[in-house]
Amino acid sequence: MDVTTSFATQDLWTWWLAIYLYFGGLGAATLTTTFLTDMYMKPHKELVLWGAWSGILMLSIGSSMLFIHLLDHMAVIHVLNPLVLIKQPNAWIAWGTQFIVWMMVWGFLYSLPYMLESPFFNRIPFLKNILSWSLVRSIGATCGRHCRLCGWLATINGIGTVVYTGLLLQSFPAVALWHNPGVPLLFTVSAFSTAMAFLLLILNLAIKKREEDRPLRVFYERTDLMLIAAELVILFSFFFYLQRGNQSAAISAQLLWNDWGWLIGFIGFGLVVPFLLELKGVIKGWHTPVPIMLASVLVLVGGYLLRHYFMYAGVYAHPW
Amino acid sequence: MTRYAMVIDLNTCVGCNACMAACAMENQTPVWKNKWRTYVHDKEIGSGEDIHRRFFPRLCNHCSNPPCMSVCPTGATYQMENGIVRVDEATCMGCGACAMACPYDARFEVTYADVRQGREFFGAETYLRTRPSMDKCNFCAERVLQGKKPACVETCVGSARQFGDLDDPMDPVTRMVTSGTARPLMAHLGTKPNVYYIDDLKRRG
Repeated sequence: MDVTTSFATQDLWTWWLAIYLYFGGLGAATLTTTFLTDMYMKPHKELVLWGAWSGILMLSIGSSMLFIHLLDHMAVIHVLNPLVLIKQPNAWIAWGTQFIVWMMVWGFLYSLPYMLESPFFNRIPFLKNILSWSLVRSIGATCGRHCRLCGWLATINGIGTVVYTGLLLQSFPAVALWHNPGVPLLFTVSAFSTAMAFLLLILNLAIKKREEDRPLRVFYERTDLMLIAAELVILFSFFFYLQRGNQSAAISAQLLWNDWGWLIGFIGFGLVVPFLLELKGVIKGWHTPVPIMLASVLVLVGGYLLRHYFMYAGVYAHPW
Repeated sequence: MTRYAMVIDLNTCVGCNACMAACAMENQTPVWKNKWRTYVHDKEIGSGEDIHRRFFPRLCNHCSNPPCMSVCPTGATYQMENGIVRVDEATCMGCGACAMACPYDARFEVTYADVRQGREFFGAETYLRTRPSMDKCNFCAERVLQGKKPACVETCVGSARQFGDLDDPMDPVTRMVTSGTARPLMAHLGTKPNVYYIDDLKRRG
């Protein structure tokens, strides 16, 4: 017992920051996965449009959570300027902001040729007029000719965004739960796992080209299964890392592993149950897509719970 | 070169909170929501009849390797050549990353509502702040540039706070630091803090 030390959690970055990290990771991983699928596995117009626009929407929601909570909204202009990276190369929010902005720009450009062909987008009032402008058609044609370049620029920024969500927490040295190299790894694996789950829902609910997309769904299921397994291994390592050593870490472990929301909600229903459902799907298959869709929903909820509990369980040790 | 530092003697701090009041008036901090640039923690240590009441003044440690500065996305947190870590209100967007990174709980929010309240509380003619930011102690940088001591040091009735230049080997603060009498908080984090404490519990046996 050290009577000169007290322990405290923070109340500054709470659920809204968890939403920022969640949608940042999910949106970026969704966009990255759809573009890589389209470029190297199977050209898929609907998947790209769904992936790009849901990714951009999720990133916008996530970014707006951070923006709303800023004290001075006008000062955000300083971090939108790309030159900020020269001034503040160690600040992950500066990197993250640039990754998010440029990923949305390149994501939009990659999907633009598909948008120009899409009957859906050409029916939307006002937007259909914009899409008919010769300048927009010319940009679309250029992007179509250089789609790999646009795709890779979006992918690089997407992976940057995904990793950034973990690096941001890792940059706070006083909290043992956050300040370790496992956090970016865990958040990256979780982001891609939730992206696979989201795309499985899109393929099963929105696109519905059942037979044609079957190999893609199987690939996403198998990848998600491996990612969930990796996530469980990382969490297992976290459990033992937190148990011994730093007192801040030990208290974080108590907060997490004594909480039913973390244990049952996240690890149980967010990881173990979907792992078993997808494992059965991979080994023996399901007669209906419902179990895989259920697993996907659970993975998506679990992805948020991970970030939510991580934010609340960070413990500061104060020497007073 | 100058490297400003502070030594706080926990043996002589009587918990009068004059430092908090002086700092609040000097720096116009939002005291109405109990936010201070320096705060004195009051803790009882011991058991039975052997209780020691410890007063622990806390403030920004003006680290030589400040994590609040490295995580600041706009560069609003910066370090002067004399080691004082400051915040540029005009550039700070108030994301709070500095507060998350600080191991010493030295950062707090000043919102637009606080700026309005500040004008009423301190008087529109004298209130200097115009924008919100993540606020913190700046060792009373303007006073120090004029050759004065920080307000909290000036007002300390028990002389518990001493301010000096670590680059001056004859400075009493430097002597207490180099002899190990005064020690930094949580040095293992690598922040290289420049506020040092003289322990009170060792002398009690």
